[in-house]
Amino acid sequence: MATRTLKTSILSLGRIHCHIYGVNVRNPLNRATYATALSINTSSQNKGFPDRGNRGPFNRRSRREAGDPRTDRMPVEQDWTAVYPTATPFRQGSVPLPVRMGFPVKKGVPPEKKGNLELIKIPNFLHLTPLAIKKHCEALKPFCTEWPSALDTGAKCDEHFPVKVESKDYVSAGTSLRNPSARIVHLRVSFCVNYDYAMYLLTVLYHESWKMEAWESEKTVADMEEYSWEDSPSQKNIMSTLVRMQVEGEGEAVREELLGRPEVQEYRDSVTRLKNEGESESSMHQYRDAVKKLLNL
Amino acid sequence: MEWHQTPGNHALCMRYHSTPAITTSLSSPIKVPPSSCGQEAVGMELETRPETLSIFRTQENDPACQSEQHLGQYYTVPPSHFHTVFPHGLPPRYQQQVKTFNEGCVMVRQPALELISHLKRADYSKPTMRYLLYGVKGSGKTMSLCHTVHYCSTQGWLVLHIPDAHLWVKNCKELLPSSYHASRFDQPIQASNWLRNFRTTNEHFLSKIKLRQRYVWTKRESTEEGRPLGELVDMGVSRVKSSSDVVGAVLKELRLQAGGTEGGFRLAVAVDGVNGLWGRTTLKKEDKSPVAPEELTLVHNLRKMINNDWCGGAVIATLSQTGSLYAPSSAYLPQELLGEEGFDSMDPFVPVPVSLYSEKEFESCYLYYLDRHWLQHPHSRTEEGKKELIFLSNRNPSVLERLCAFL
Repeated sequence: MATRTLKTSILSLGRIHCHIYGVNVRNPLNRATYATALSINTSSQNKGFPDRGNRGPFNRRSRREAGDPRTDRMPVEQDWTAVYPTATPFRQGSVPLPVRMGFPVKKGVPPEKKGNLELIKIPNFLHLTPLAIKKHCEALKPFCTEWPSALDTGAKCDEHFPVKVESKDYVSAGTSLRNPSARIVHLRVSFCVNYDYAMYLLTVLYHESWKMEAWESEKTVADMEEYSWEDSPSQKNIMSTLVRMQVEGEGEAVREELLGRPEVQEYRDSVTRLKNEGESESSMHQYRDAVKKLLNL
Repeated sequence: MEWHQTPGNHALCMRYHSTPAITTSLSSPIKVPPSSCGQEAVGMELETRPETLSIFRTQENDPACQSEQHLGQYYTVPPSHFHTVFPHGLPPRYQQQVKTFNEGCVMVRQPALELISHLKRADYSKPTMRYLLYGVKGSGKTMSLCHTVHYCSTQGWLVLHIPDAHLWVKNCKELLPSSYHASRFDQPIQASNWLRNFRTTNEHFLSKIKLRQRYVWTKRESTEEGRPLGELVDMGVSRVKSSSDVVGAVLKELRLQAGGTEGGFRLAVAVDGVNGLWGRTTLKKEDKSPVAPEELTLVHNLRKMINNDWCGGAVIATLSQTGSLYAPSSAYLPQELLGEEGFDSMDPFVPVPVSLYSEKEFESCYLYYLDRHWLQHPHSRTEEGKKELIFLSNRNPSVLERLCAFL
């Protein structure tokens, strides 16, 4: 195995350089340590790996030593918005709180924040302190104008702005950040406003919808909203089966006659029902009866 | 003089008890009407028999003669049939059960009886009928299929049993590009395994069917017209590389010759897990792009068999979610598992629903396990224990079987 130093953990013990073999060292700053298996720090014992310059498996030489966590140097009156200006994942070296999270294993406590993936996974609102929000508002103010003084009552607002769009945001604890009910947006229109204009709009839309564009003729079977039995594989199958069963001539007349039969109609209804409504026991039974009747079982 | 008991006759006037041994007693004589199935028909009094009469068993071991009166009862598959008819078709747990109990008993249930009655009455000069067994997981679709296959083979049909179509679309170690068609892929191992089992099932047909076409395999090897089918199959088993094409040739020959007037035979195509033929595979080509099912020679040829453009036989298929790929575990209805493409290919077919055990069938199964001393736990012999079993298994056959294995 490639060797590597574990100077980071050693440094946090108060800058004592020593070679330790997995034993607990005296801890002047009363910080918990990990009992980790360390190994000798000599580059001459690079077993088996020819020198790859500075690109070795664990690039020991040019690796920068990690410094103290920022929490050591944080005064109480610091500017928190400088530490967390935007939404960022939890950084245990930047948050001076002794937070613990996770499931306590037997006779234990929730694990601490150092190296804690649970804290990193969840969303945090450390960037949204009241001070930060105040700063946001101050920054936005130059771009805003005053609220029109004439619109001081709700009735006046409705009169001038009859169309209202309402969207809702939710805050909840759950497995996902997103709440599906937040996707619903309400659009409200009050009718008393301009009836003529509304009618005009609807008429225009109605006539527009009848116009066929050139690209609409490229509609494929997959685009259809509803299943139509005519010209579907189902119709072709059943027609060819019936024609072969009949043994009497071929031709359009035979097909027409077959299509007109009540069993075929029933079959067509059951297939359409299956495809449009989806499957259920009852629609399957209907299909079954139709097929049995059709194929004379 | 031999006479066969039909326990079903007096099932009407008896109630099921939880004890395995039930004696029959009848107050008046019952005339057993003569039937054409070889039961010695005598109008006689069925007197009280001191021996134990198993009400869940029937002596009628020929599927052709089973009828509604045998519903819910177990019939024994003769041991001689076992290895020829079912070299590869039975569910694995059932095979273990057969080994343990030293006998293969199959319950006569409504879906299988319905299928068999359709098969009896169908007109084989018309295009092939397709039947599809569907139902929730563990409800007995594969067992019903095997029952029907047993019927077909006792009637002398040629049985083409594909035990699980999903095995051909996943976990294939070797995919060879097909020599016959540039864009298709061969699966030599699966094809040769299947040919071997096919040979075991249909020994007697192999010498009778003659090829109608000449098949050229390589520059030096070819099979001439008029040679028996057995030669083709042997070649496929020994020359593994071309076994997929041999399967295609065998299927084509059978399709052409089934229902023919001279030396005609009936062909039963039994496919388990037919929804594996449409949909997706987990196989990948060398450039890591996925393989579509129609690019596999075996699947391509099997799809041709399932079409109803040939006559003289029947296609019996089951849906299976258990081995299927990319299907949710709650799916069991035909359209969900077959997909649009599959449904359109199978259309029109007769769907046959397979439901969970009814009360009578559950009783039967419970008594059978008691009789075989499979339920060892003393509590399972009580009424309470039986109610617990009903509750835990919800009368689902496979769940019940697994539960009882613990007891």
